Amino acid sequence: LLSCSEDFTNLNPVSQRNVNGFYQTAGDMNTAINAAYKVLQMNGTYNQSYWIMHEMRTDNTDQGPDGTGLGAELTVIDNFSEISTSEIITAAYTDSYLGIARSNIVLSRIDAIPMDQAMKDRIKGEALFLRSLFFYNLAVSFGHIPMPLTEPKSADEGRALPQVPAAEIYRQISADLVQAEAFLPIKHAAAADLGRATKGAAAALLGKVYLTAGDKSSAATVLKRIVETYGYSLMPDYATIWGLANKNNRESIFEVQYRGGGTGTGNGFTNAFSPLLRQTTGAYKNRPTVNMMNAYEPGDDRFLKSMDTSYVNSQGTLLTNSANNVRFITKFGKENTFNENDASYNFMVLRYADVLLMLAEALGESDAAYGYINQVRARAKLAPISAATPGTFADKLLRERRVELAFENHRWADLLRFGKATEVMQAQGKTARLLYLIPQRELDINSSYKQN
Amino acid sequence: AATQDITYVRKTTLRRTAEHRVAQSQKLKDALLELGRKHQVDILFEESTLADIYVQPEDRSTDKGLEKKLEQLLFPNGLTYRKMSKSAYLIWKKSAEAESWAIPRSTSATTQNKLVFEQVTPLQRLQSPGAVDRELTGKITDEKNEGLPGVSVLIKGTNKGAISDQNGVYSISLPDQPTILVFSFIGYLSKELTVTSQSLLNVQLVPSINNLSEVMVVGYGTQRKGDITGSIGSISARNIREIQVTNFENALQGQIAGVQVQEPSGEPGAATTIRVRGLGSVSAGNEPLYVIDGFPATKNMDPGIQGDITRRTTAFALPASNPLGTINPNDIESIEVLKDASAAAIYGSRGSNGVILITTKKGKLNTKPVVGFDAYFGVQSVAKKVNLMNSEQLTAYVKDSKNNAYLQDVPGANVNDDNATRYTKTTNGSYFIPDDYANPDGTDTDWQDLIFNTAPVQSYNASVSGGSEFVNYYFSGGYFNQKGIIDRSGFERYSFRINLEAQPVKRLKIGLGLSPSFTNTDRSPAGAPYFADPPGIVYSALVTSPTVKPYLPDGSINQTDNQSHLFTETGRGANMTASSNPLAIIKYVTDDLKQFRTFGNVYAEYEMLDGLTYKLYTGIDVNSYNRSFYMARAFLNRAATVGDPYAQSNASLNYNWLTENTLSYTKTIGQVHHISAVVGYTAQKDRLDANQVYAQNHPDDLSPTISGGQVTSGGDNRQEWSLVSALARVNYSFRDKYLLTATIRSDRSSRFGAGNKTGTFPSVSAGWRVSEESFMKGVTAVSDLKFRGSWGQTGNFLIPNYAAIGLLSTYNYIFNNVLTNGIAPSSISNENLTWEKTTQVDLGLDFGLFRERIYISADWYRKLTSDLLLNVQVPAAVGFSTALQNIGEVENKGFELTISSRNLVGAFGWTTDFNFSVNKNEVLKLGPTGDPILSSGGAGIRHITAIGSPIGSYFGYVVEGIYQSQAEVDAAPKDALAPAARAGDFKFKDVNGDGKIDAADRTVIGNYQPDFMWGITNRFRFKGVDLSVFFQGVEGSKILNLTRRHLGNGEAATNSYADWTERWISAENPGNGKIPRADRLSDLHSGNNRPSTFQVEDGSYFRLRSISLGYTFPKTLLGTRFQSLRAYASGTNLFTSTKYIGYNPEVNNQAGLTGVQGEDYGAYPLSRNITFGLNVTF
Repeated sequence: LLSCSEDFTNLNPVSQRNVNGFYQTAGDMNTAINAAYKVLQMNGTYNQSYWIMHEMRTDNTDQGPDGTGLGAELTVIDNFSEISTSEIITAAYTDSYLGIARSNIVLSRIDAIPMDQAMKDRIKGEALFLRSLFFYNLAVSFGHIPMPLTEPKSADEGRALPQVPAAEIYRQISADLVQAEAFLPIKHAAAADLGRATKGAAAALLGKVYLTAGDKSSAATVLKRIVETYGYSLMPDYATIWGLANKNNRESIFEVQYRGGGTGTGNGFTNAFSPLLRQTTGAYKNRPTVNMMNAYEPGDDRFLKSMDTSYVNSQGTLLTNSANNVRFITKFGKENTFNENDASYNFMVLRYADVLLMLAEALGESDAAYGYINQVRARAKLAPISAATPGTFADKLLRERRVELAFENHRWADLLRFGKATEVMQAQGKTARLLYLIPQRELDINSSYKQN
Repeated sequence: AATQDITYVRKTTLRRTAEHRVAQSQKLKDALLELGRKHQVDILFEESTLADIYVQPEDRSTDKGLEKKLEQLLFPNGLTYRKMSKSAYLIWKKSAEAESWAIPRSTSATTQNKLVFEQVTPLQRLQSPGAVDRELTGKITDEKNEGLPGVSVLIKGTNKGAISDQNGVYSISLPDQPTILVFSFIGYLSKELTVTSQSLLNVQLVPSINNLSEVMVVGYGTQRKGDITGSIGSISARNIREIQVTNFENALQGQIAGVQVQEPSGEPGAATTIRVRGLGSVSAGNEPLYVIDGFPATKNMDPGIQGDITRRTTAFALPASNPLGTINPNDIESIEVLKDASAAAIYGSRGSNGVILITTKKGKLNTKPVVGFDAYFGVQSVAKKVNLMNSEQLTAYVKDSKNNAYLQDVPGANVNDDNATRYTKTTNGSYFIPDDYANPDGTDTDWQDLIFNTAPVQSYNASVSGGSEFVNYYFSGGYFNQKGIIDRSGFERYSFRINLEAQPVKRLKIGLGLSPSFTNTDRSPAGAPYFADPPGIVYSALVTSPTVKPYLPDGSINQTDNQSHLFTETGRGANMTASSNPLAIIKYVTDDLKQFRTFGNVYAEYEMLDGLTYKLYTGIDVNSYNRSFYMARAFLNRAATVGDPYAQSNASLNYNWLTENTLSYTKTIGQVHHISAVVGYTAQKDRLDANQVYAQNHPDDLSPTISGGQVTSGGDNRQEWSLVSALARVNYSFRDKYLLTATIRSDRSSRFGAGNKTGTFPSVSAGWRVSEESFMKGVTAVSDLKFRGSWGQTGNFLIPNYAAIGLLSTYNYIFNNVLTNGIAPSSISNENLTWEKTTQVDLGLDFGLFRERIYISADWYRKLTSDLLLNVQVPAAVGFSTALQNIGEVENKGFELTISSRNLVGAFGWTTDFNFSVNKNEVLKLGPTGDPILSSGGAGIRHITAIGSPIGSYFGYVVEGIYQSQAEVDAAPKDALAPAARAGDFKFKDVNGDGKIDAADRTVIGNYQPDFMWGITNRFRFKGVDLSVFFQGVEGSKILNLTRRHLGNGEAATNSYADWTERWISAENPGNGKIPRADRLSDLHSGNNRPSTFQVEDGSYFRLRSISLGYTFPKTLLGTRFQSLRAYASGTNLFTSTKYIGYNPEVNNQAGLTGVQGEDYGAYPLSRNITFGLNVTF
C-alpha cells in the first residue's frame, strides 16, 4: 500500500520542463545561452531601463510631455530626484543580474558536458561576453555591486555576496572579455547564428571597459586589433546604419535582435519615442532637447537622420508636429507599422564608429586620433578637424561622440568617463548624481549593503 | 374522559434506564422503547394504539436499520410510522380505507386510555383536576403555518393530555376552570397557555433554537450537536432562503462568528472571499476547503484555469469568477463551517483555513412527493455612486493645479497668462491650460450615470422530493439569470441535481448524487485601472473628464472628439491623462466565460455487524471552462487613433477523483459509555489540462474570434496533484457529561518536496456538560451548559503543484531574424518544501438558558501557523527575485460570540441571532534574518509583512499635516521626495527621527483586516406575516485606495474626487485641513502623491444587508391544489454606512494574494437589489 502511494504521489511537471533532466547536452547548453541573450530584450535592459538611465537622464533627451503616472517615474530620473524604490531602476538592476545568472548557469555547467570543443568554446565566449556586458552596465550605473560568478546552489547564497567597487568589476570583466575574444569567432559560420557575440563584440566591449578603467594603452591595443583585423567598416550613409533592411550590417558589432509578431520578442521603441499627436499612439518619451539639436554643426548629415518632426502612422498618414523645436528620435523607425510595443528594429549596442572614436580616445590627441575622428565626420559630410580646431581634444571628441552616437545609450557613460557629467548637467540646471541609488529592495534584504 | 394515552420516549432517558430483558413474547411498546434507545431516537406513540400488541423477539433481534425494524414491527399490526425529524418517529394506526395518514379523532375520544408521559425531569405532579365538562379543539401549526402532527398537549400538572393528528388538529377535554396547557414537540419550543372558557385554541410552535439532539455533519460522519466538542458554525436552508444570493457563500456573510465573507467585486458571478479565523498564510492560499456532499473540492481560482487575459498584468486581472458558482443555493440543506483544529484536523493537510461542509437536500423515506417551486424577480441598481467633480469644479481645479506649477517653476510667470503667452516662456505642457477648461462649452457628463443601469435578476427553481419504503429521492432544476448593473455583464446558471438513496437489501444502503451545472458569465472588463489593456470600465468612467461628450452628434459613441481636455486649443499636449470612453469599452470588448461543472458521487454502506458499518464512497468533480475574449478593431484605447484588435481563447478541463473507504463503529457499553469511531483510507487525484490561443491584427470586426485574426501565440498548461491519506476519529462520552474526541490524519501529497512528503495531523478535544451534572438539576434556568476545549494541528497544502521542483520556462530570442529557442529556470528548487502547520487551541462555552430561549456560544482561540510558506525576497544577484521557502510564523488570536434569542414566542414572534468576532493577526517570525517582506500590489511596493504587524500591512509615509507657510516648510526636516515643497503641501513625518525624510521613514500605516465584525438578524412573525432584518458590519479595516493616485493626487490630470474642492488654497483659505494644494507637478515639488496615510482610508461599515417581508397564505385560501404558498419582497444592500469614499468598503483588488490585500483600483460596485418572489409547494 505504501509503495503504491509513493508512486501515486511522486508527480513530475507535465507540460513544463524542470531542472531534473535538462542541462545534459550541447543542444541544452545552446538553448540555455539563448535564454541569456533574451535578457537583452527585456524592459529592465535595452528595451526600456537602459535608455532611460543612460540617455534620457543626460542632456541629450528629456522625459517628454507626459509627466503623470509612469511618466512621472521618468521625470524624476530626468531630474536626478528619483528614489531608491524606482521601478525602472529596480528593473535595470534585477534584469541585468538575471542576464548574469543565466550566463553563470552556462559557465558553471558547460565544462562537465561532453560536447564538441569548438561549440563549447563558442558558448563559453558568448556567456562571458553577455555577463560582462551586463556587469558593465551595472557598474556604470551603480558603482558598488555584488559580483556573482557561479550558478547559485540556493537562494540564500546571494546574501553572502558582498558589494565590490566598480574597479573590481572592470578588472574581472576585462579578464573575462580577453577570454571571450579568444573563444569567439570573427564571424559565425552558420547564418542562423547571425546576432551572436563575436570576437569583435568582445573586443569592442573590452576596449570600452579599459577606457572606463583608465587603461588607455590596453584599450588602444585591443581597439586597433578590431580596426585592423576584424573587417568592419562604416556604412556609407548614416541613415542605413539602422532600419529593418540593414540589420547586422558591416558597421554593426553587436545589436540586440528584435522581431515583432506577438512572440514576445519585439521592442517598444517606436511607441515610446514617437510623438503624442492627436492621431498617434506614441508616448513621446526620450525627446531630444534643444541643447541636443544645437550640438549638431550646420550641415551635419546626421541631424535629420537621427530625429524628425514628422511621423507616419500605421494608416500611412504623415503627421507633422507644428511646434518649434520639437523633434523625436527616428533611429528606430519613423513608421509605426507594428502592433503596440512589438516593433522589429534592432538596438545598436556596439558599432564600428564607436570603436573608431574610442580608439581616438585611447590614443589621445594625435594626428592618428584625428584621423579616426575624421573618418566618422567624413561620413557625416563634415569637414575634418585637427588640433587647430578650437576647443580641447576631449571636448571635440565628446561632442563628436554625442552626435554620432546620439540616442544609442552612450551619453551617460561618456559623460562619466570624460569627467564631465556634473559640469554638463549643471549647464542644464541640474545637479547630477553620478551613481544611481541601489534599489531599496536589495538594501532591505541585505542590511550590510551601503546606499550610494 | 376523552383523553389519550401517549408515550413520549426520550432517548436520553432511555439510555439511563435498565436494559430490558428480552422476553419470549414482548409488548410492542417495550420493543419500541428498546429500539429507540438503541438507535438514539425518540419514538412517540399513543399507548392505546399499541395496547395488547405483542411481537416475537426474533422480529427485532435481526440486524436491520431502524426504519426496517419499525416496518417489521408495525406493518403487520396495522400500524405505521412517520419520521418527524432526524431523530423522532411518530407511530400511527394505518387507516383501513387508504394509505393516508390520519388518526380518527373519534377513536381517541371514545376510548378510555391512560396517558403516560415520561420526562427527563419529572413535572411537578399536582392533583388531577376534577370532572371534565368541556371540550377544547384547535390546530397546532409550525413556523410555516403548516399543521404540525404529533404534538403533545398536556394539562399542566397532570398526566392527562392529547396528541395532534396528521393535520395538526387536537382535541382535549378540560375541567371547567382555568387550566394551563403545555404544548410540546421535539425540535420545537414548548408553549404554555392558560385556557379559561374558549373552545377553540390555535397554537403556533416555533422551532427550538438549538436542538441539542439535532445531528450535524462533521466530516466523515455526523454527530449530535450536544456531543460536539469542537467549534462548528452552521446555517440551514432557511438562512439561505432569506437572502437572494447568487452563490451560497454570500448566504454565509455575517451569519457565523469567525467567518468573514466578502464581496470584493459586485460583478455577477465574481468569487466571494471567505476567511475562517483570520489569515494564516502569506503565500499559500487562505481559502477554506469545501466539502460538497463528502467530496473535498478546492476552490481553485488559478488564473490559468479560467484563462486570464494575457495582455493584462496580474495586478489588473479581473476578479476570478466563482468556481463554485455552479452550485445552486436552493439545493443546499445545510452548511457547516469547521473552525477549530478538533473539527478540521480530520481533513489534515487541508484543514488550516477551515473547512466548509455543504450538504444538499435529500428526500425522506415514506413521504408523499412534495413538489416545490420557487421563483423571484428583482431589479438591481448601483448601491452607491462616488462623489466626483462636475465640469465647473474640475475646471477650477485643473486651472489651479496648472497655475500653481507654472507660478512655482517658470520665471516671470503670471497667473493670468494665456496659453500663447505661456508657450513663449516654456515648452512643458504641464503649464498649459487644456482647451476644454480654457474654453468650456458647457458639457457636463456624468459618466457614472451613463455606465450604471438598473438590471434584472431572476431565479426559478423546481424540485420534487419524497420517498417510498426503500428509496428516497430529490430532483431539482434551477435557472438563474442576473444581469449586471453595467451593460454586457451578467451571470446565468442552469443547474440540476439528483440525490437518490436506496436500501435494496438488508443492511445495505446505496446512494447517488449528481449535479450537472452550466454557467455563462458575461465578463465586461469593469474592474481594472483605466490604463489596463483592455481598460477598466468603472475606472475609465471615474477618470474621464465631465467636459467630454459621451456621444458624437450622429449618436455613435464618441471615441474621436474626446481629446480637447488633453490638448491646448492649438493642439499642443497639455500633459493630461487620456482615457477610453467607458461606453466604448462596454460595447467593443467581449469576454465570455462558460463553465460546466459536475459533482458526482456514488456510495454504498453496509452494516457488517451491529454498529459496524463499512462505506465505500467514490466521487468525481469535472470542471470545464471555455473563455472567449475579443477587443474590437473599432475600439480606440485611450488616445489611440487606430484599433489594436486581439482575441484570446481558453479552454480547460479539470477533473478530480476521489475514493474513500471508511469503517465506522458505534457502541454503548453499560448504558454510560458511548463510543463511536471511524477509520478511513482515501486517495484523491486532480488533473488539469488547459490551453490558450491568442490572435491579433484582425482586419475587421466581422469575426470576433481567434479565427478573425492572425494567431500569434498559444500554449498549454497540464498539471496534476495527488493525495493519499489515512484517517481515524474516536468519540467517547461518559454519561453524556464527559465528552472526548480524538482525530488523526496522515497525508502524503505530491505537492511537497521529496524530503518532506508525508505529514500527520492529530487533534484532541474534550467537553464537559455541566448541565447534566446532578448538582445542576435544580438550576432550572440553565438548560444547557457545556465547556469545550480542543488542541490540534492542521496543514495548508495550497501551494503550487510543482513548487518544490525548479521549473524551466522558455525565453526565446531572435537570431538571423528567426525565433530561436531559449530555456532558463523560472523558479529555484527546494526539496524541503512542505505544508504550513497550524497548531490551534480553542476554548469554548455553550450556554442555554430558559429552555434554550437564549442560547450563547463563545469561543476563544489561538492559531499559530509555523513553517510559513513565503516567497522570500532574495538578492537579485541570484537571478530570481523571490524563492518559495518554509520560513516564518504567524499568529491569529480571537474571540467569537454567538447569541440566539427567542424574544417573543407568542402569537407575535420575535427572534434575534447575533454574532460577533474579533481576530488579531500578527506575524511572529519571518525569513532567516527576520527581514520584512515588501510586496507590490497594483502600484509598486505598498505592502509589508513584518514581525509584529498583521500580514500584508500597508507601507508608506505618514502625513502629519499640511504646511501652512513657507516658514513651516523651511523648519521641517529635509524631505528627499519634496525638493520644492510649498505651503499647502503635505508635511510628512520623520518616523525614525534622523532629521531627514527618506525611504527609511516608510512605516506600517494600517491593514485590511478588521478589528471586529458582527451580524444581527431579527426575525418577526405575526400570523402569516414574516419579516427578517439582517444588519452586518465590519469595524477597523483599512483600505488602500489606489484610485487616490489619480482621482485625488492634486495634479488634476484626470477627473477627481469632489473632496478636492475643499483643498488648501492659501493659509487664509486652508480648505478642510486634510487635502493639500493643487499642483500639476507635485511629483517634482512635494511628493504629495507618494504612498502615504493619505491613501489609506477607513473601511469600517455597517450595512442593512437584507430585509425580507413575506406572507404565507392560510391553507383555507389555498384549496387542495397547493400545500403552501408564500409571497415575499426583499431587499439586499439597501443601506450602507461607511466613511469610505469608494464604492465598496469590501473592495480587494487582488483578493487571492494575501500580501497585497485591501487595494481599490477601480472595482465593480455592489448593487442594491429589490426582489419579489414566491415559494410554492404542491
